[in-house]
Amino acid sequence: MIRFILMVLAGCAVTLARCLADTDDQVAARSDVIDFAGAFQNDGFKIRDGNFFGKVSKDHPQVVAVNLYSGNAYWFTASTGQKAERLKISVFDDNGKPVSYLPYEFGDRAAAGFSPDASGLYYVKVALEEGQPATFCLIYSYK
Amino acid sequence: MPLLRKWLGLSVIALVSTTVALADQQPSETPTASDVPLSPDELKNATSVDALTVPTPGEFFKAIEKGGKPNWTSEYRPPVSIKSSDRAQMALSLGTLIADGYIAVEAHDGQQVKNVGKDVLALAKKLSVSQSVLARGQSITQFAENNAWDQLNEELEATQNEVKKALEENRDTDLITLVSIGGWIRGTEVVTGLVLQNYNPEDAKLLRQPALVSYLKGKLTQLPEKIRKDPLVQSVNSSLDGIQKMVSFPADHIPTVDEVKDLNSAASKLTKEIGASE
Repeated sequence: MIRFILMVLAGCAVTLARCLADTDDQVAARSDVIDFAGAFQNDGFKIRDGNFFGKVSKDHPQVVAVNLYSGNAYWFTASTGQKAERLKISVFDDNGKPVSYLPYEFGDRAAAGFSPDASGLYYVKVALEEGQPATFCLIYSYK
Repeated sequence: MPLLRKWLGLSVIALVSTTVALADQQPSETPTASDVPLSPDELKNATSVDALTVPTPGEFFKAIEKGGKPNWTSEYRPPVSIKSSDRAQMALSLGTLIADGYIAVEAHDGQQVKNVGKDVLALAKKLSVSQSVLARGQSITQFAENNAWDQLNEELEATQNEVKKALEENRDTDLITLVSIGGWIRGTEVVTGLVLQNYNPEDAKLLRQPALVSYLKGKLTQLPEKIRKDPLVQSVNSSLDGIQKMVSFPADHIPTVDEVKDLNSAASKLTKEIGASE
């Protein structure tokens, strides 16, 4: 019985540790991506007060749907906050076809600048090109 | 030519940003396209989250400012007083009021910002989320007195997020969707009104949002039956059917004046319904 209770407690501890680790990853990723996006803020871009946390690995990119307005310019920025990773952001139209955008990639940080000609649905893909599976934070800025 | 201008703008921004703020990093400066289209699975499993998928009214309003300074004050409406205890109506109204706040900020009208801020707080109290919003309300007043318009824009967005977070903490997550819907409907009423005042094709193209309405409608269908059966929610749901058709046009179509008028009428009718005192 005691062994069973100890095993349950050990299981709980592992789960709790994992949860806490995820939270730390999210905090690091968010803090880094906000710092990164600050560069665009200096150019008049407003950072939207909203974010998306996702897990990304080399074989499992994440795709997020966004609704954009023609006339606005956007920067999508993502970071894992882990220096060893290599992230990439790409942008697609509502049919999933790639659109032209301005890429920026540097290790755990990636960005894509995009000015839609048509308002509507677009997809933002965050992929990990190199590195271990990681939690990333995606935000966007507009002007 | 406008496309080239956009790219030049983005390139300059990228150059300045990366050489000044990120001086030790090497960006690619050439516009590019990804090689591989998204797979059907990627499209099907794409994530939609309110925080990124539903644009804020401020974002919508920023887009229409590109054609010149709109007459924002013309889009003011009389103060809204919700006497009903219908929580769905309160949540929808809160969304419309937050959109009103953005209009006042765009109009650089400090007094109106404060008036709307008070209305938002009053409604937040009724929804038991006032504690979280109280501090924001005070900041809004301060920023309005100091004419700090950029900060006000950020504060309004933060207020909307605080309300949604508080609703989540109060286990009122179902109402979050209604706040977003209220904001989008009022935003659409305002933008169509401004387009009609000074019609031009570029502004009219902003109204294309088929996936957004579809997403919001999808969220409505996920609400608990009790909320779905609320007469106002039913009416919003049914009106969104018509509105969805109006904003679902091909990317190369430019809505005519009459089409914009129809959308404006539908959004105005719905906004009035949401704000009706009884």
